[in-house]
Amino acid sequence: MLKARNSLGIVFFPAFDWAISPTHPERQERLLYTQDQLREEGVFDIAGITELKPDLATETDVARVHFCFPDVAAVTTSSHMISAGGAIRAARTVLEKEAKKAFALVRPPGHHAMKVVHGARGFCNINIEAVMIEWLREHFGPLRVAIVDTDCHHGDGTQDVYWHDPDTLFISLHQDGRTLYPGTGYPYELGGPRALGKTVNIPLPPGTSDEGFLFTMREVVAPLLEDFKPDLVVNSAGQDNHFSDPITDMAFSAQGYARLTELLNADIAVLEGGYAIQGALPYVNLGLVLSMAGLDYSHVREPGFNPEAVRQSAKVTGYIEEVCRDTLKLARNPKAPDKGEIVAGWFTRRKTLYYDTDAITEYQTESVRMCDHCRGVLKFETESTRNPLCLGVEAPIGACEHCVSEAYRLYESGQIKGEYRHLQLIDRVGKNYASYTG
Amino acid sequence: MLLGIDVGGTHTDAVLIGPGGVVACAKLRTNHDDLLASIREALAGIVAVAGPGAVTRLNLSTTLSTNAIVEGTADPVGVLVSGGPGIDPEAYRMGRFYHVLPGAIDHRGRETAPIDLDAAREVIAGWQAAGVAVHAAVTKFSTRHPDQELALKALLDGRSDHVSLGHAFSGRLGFGRRIATACLNSAVWRVYNRFCDAVERSVAELGIAPDVINVLKADGGTMPLAVSRSHPVQSILSGPAASVMGIIAVCDITEDSIILDVGGTTTDIAVFAAGAPLIENEGIAIAGRPTLVRALRTRSIGVGGDSAITVSCEAVRVGPRRLGPPMALGGPVPTLVDALNVQNVIAVGDPRASYEGLAAAAATATACHFDPGEVAEAAILNAVNQIREEVAAFVREINDRPVYTIFELLEGRQVRPTRVYVMGGPAMALSALLQDAFSEEVVVPESFAVANAIGAALARPTFSVELFADTAAGRLTIPALGIARPVADNYSPAAAEGEAATRLREYLAAIGAGDNGDAPIETVELSSFPMVEGGELVGHNIRVACQVRPGVPEAWKKAVSQPC
Repeated sequence: MLKARNSLGIVFFPAFDWAISPTHPERQERLLYTQDQLREEGVFDIAGITELKPDLATETDVARVHFCFPDVAAVTTSSHMISAGGAIRAARTVLEKEAKKAFALVRPPGHHAMKVVHGARGFCNINIEAVMIEWLREHFGPLRVAIVDTDCHHGDGTQDVYWHDPDTLFISLHQDGRTLYPGTGYPYELGGPRALGKTVNIPLPPGTSDEGFLFTMREVVAPLLEDFKPDLVVNSAGQDNHFSDPITDMAFSAQGYARLTELLNADIAVLEGGYAIQGALPYVNLGLVLSMAGLDYSHVREPGFNPEAVRQSAKVTGYIEEVCRDTLKLARNPKAPDKGEIVAGWFTRRKTLYYDTDAITEYQTESVRMCDHCRGVLKFETESTRNPLCLGVEAPIGACEHCVSEAYRLYESGQIKGEYRHLQLIDRVGKNYASYTG
Repeated sequence: MLLGIDVGGTHTDAVLIGPGGVVACAKLRTNHDDLLASIREALAGIVAVAGPGAVTRLNLSTTLSTNAIVEGTADPVGVLVSGGPGIDPEAYRMGRFYHVLPGAIDHRGRETAPIDLDAAREVIAGWQAAGVAVHAAVTKFSTRHPDQELALKALLDGRSDHVSLGHAFSGRLGFGRRIATACLNSAVWRVYNRFCDAVERSVAELGIAPDVINVLKADGGTMPLAVSRSHPVQSILSGPAASVMGIIAVCDITEDSIILDVGGTTTDIAVFAAGAPLIENEGIAIAGRPTLVRALRTRSIGVGGDSAITVSCEAVRVGPRRLGPPMALGGPVPTLVDALNVQNVIAVGDPRASYEGLAAAAATATACHFDPGEVAEAAILNAVNQIREEVAAFVREINDRPVYTIFELLEGRQVRPTRVYVMGGPAMALSALLQDAFSEEVVVPESFAVANAIGAALARPTFSVELFADTAAGRLTIPALGIARPVADNYSPAAAEGEAATRLREYLAAIGAGDNGDAPIETVELSSFPMVEGGELVGHNIRVACQVRPGVPEAWKKAVSQPC
């Protein structure tokens, strides 16, 4: 009988009764064939692999991370709270040492959800990895966390949430934004002034196959992880780089994904996108599970798979080598944030964001206080086609006394001024999450 | 009248039940080397009291298949499998004669690689030369597309005494379980059929002419002996089921409850939700191999009357090992029974031997100066606490089981037991102590001594089927009934539910297990997934599971029920 070399907890929650709309890629059927494959393979009978039930994330778990306008309940449904709770359960399992590793095979995904939430973008409402990581930090103390996003789409939401956080290394491998949603994720996007080089983007050309992905893992991701020395590695495990995915143009295989998973050696994986639900997901997910558990995955391959037919061209290989070289250099020697300016001791950038899933446009001004003692209080002024002007203020983990009181001052004076409809406060030092509607 | 025989590890119990209640019963020690002799003796005991003419139905539990598998005395089986993509099928190897053929079927039941029949022919010929006479053929996802297994069967026909096909046992998924189930079925086929022949002969010789002989299954139900001849694996591990069904019959259980069967070596725990016993999600494991054989969901801990007591200054512990009978009955080490003897809870055998045994055990922990009474008290407390903790963990595990819909996660039913039923030898002795340990009400049914035989006698036939329809592919299968047919694209979930129930009812009637059509059929799973390709709805993926769940017909329940 098989026995896992690494004990593995799997939170499998396919939300069989939830869809964005009947024919949407995020529909009931998405993980059906994955479940069939995992059950037929007997994955849950393998000694050392345990199936776990998701926790249910609370509004506080979300409000610890996001500014949701008008409030958490308005921008989430039960499905999002379970999906985030599934990620929390996975992480808890690892931190409480019930299992060495964990995989949250849950939906809906979350990596396009940004710090401020007015609705759904790229099928995501709340950032389930961020909700998970901040839950961990709240309950287990400060942790250096590396997030490696292997979804085909740029993890712009996760990047936004952690833009100013020097204790979170965010690395995204994705199809070049000039050819795919959300159109961001360039090497020059390196993080805010206090977290430069803690955001790393590796845009890969369409047609990248196993060899390109694995090269990137070895040449860029591995050395950066080595530099950062994380306490915890999280994989945002999107599966839409697959050669058969209907909405992307990459050429990754189940074998490649399993090998990548082995090289990355993440503690926790969280499912993100991946919409080739019959031809890819059953095999990719099986490959991931076996790889995380330290078991042989060499027989996991798509029916009729011919590596030669999807192998990247020499031109693509050359281009990837160049991107990797440039990205590594930039990440190790970041010069200055690509956008934004310092005004009166605050670093400020303006963003216009489009929520494709809910057709919302948001106009946002994000500011961080350039503090010499901590990473600085954060301020978000935001309005959208759904909400009038709102304010979000955060005293981050480790904020100095001055920044904490500045956060409360901003939050309270905002209420008095009366120019904001909804105001929210995140105080990570005092663990206080408050909101006010004017 | 209904006759039930439960061949247990220690005792063989028999009981004859008429409309007015128990008419006759017999209890004797099981002869492990000759199970048939135990059955004959039990039958003779009943016939001596009630005469042979009264028996209209004989239900029998047997450990024969279980023993053959556990002791490794079953036949070697030639196992042909095809795996395709996934875990290496070598991981599921059963024995020396195991061959992996090229060929693959995917999760939707599409053949993605043909099975290599030429290779199969060659392998079969080789095995024939080596004397392999029974076979199993199992392919991945055969429940969705049985053709490859059927093709292998066609090759084996005429070259094999018995061929077990994976899809015939269950529609549930689990390639490794399917391999083990089919292989074990063929392994015990010969020895089991010889046993059936002998049972039928013995029954005839004693002048008993029941309408039907049924065999007990691990899920608390029965199957006709004739059916069991081709599915002998379904008779494994039915031991705990008889006791649990006995409690259902004797006590009218309607609430969430715990059943404790305190035996010599172990305490078995079963859980009832709203009066029905919980069934294992996937299937029971035997000799370390998970199978697709349905079973009651039970858990066992090594705490029983004969469990050895170990003493140290830190703790007095009962079990998990059994090193022999209690010292009161001449055993080598003190056991829980000896502790109960010393505390005057029971009076078994020689109480002085119990006392001296515990005194000697106390003396091994020299630094602590325990007296035998203290050791006995601590041992009993330890036994009761172990049982209580195990029950709590079991209920927690049941309530924490994975679910796959938002509705179930938020609204899913939780099991909250309000009563604990205790049965088995030391039941009465432990009841007061268990009552102290449990917040639930503790009940000891009076006729607990033969409840297992009552359970065997009254259990109804059970069966379950899974229906799988893929209207995009135009295919429907009910694997356990060997049904595979085309399906129209407007086939609905309601039609599927109706078809599954109808086919199940027809099957039960055909094998003479229909209980005159009044067996309650319930749907345990019904789901329908819209299938979308290229943004278009192309069909529905429909799954239905329905079953006759284990139970005791109401009329018979009345005959044996008593206040509990």
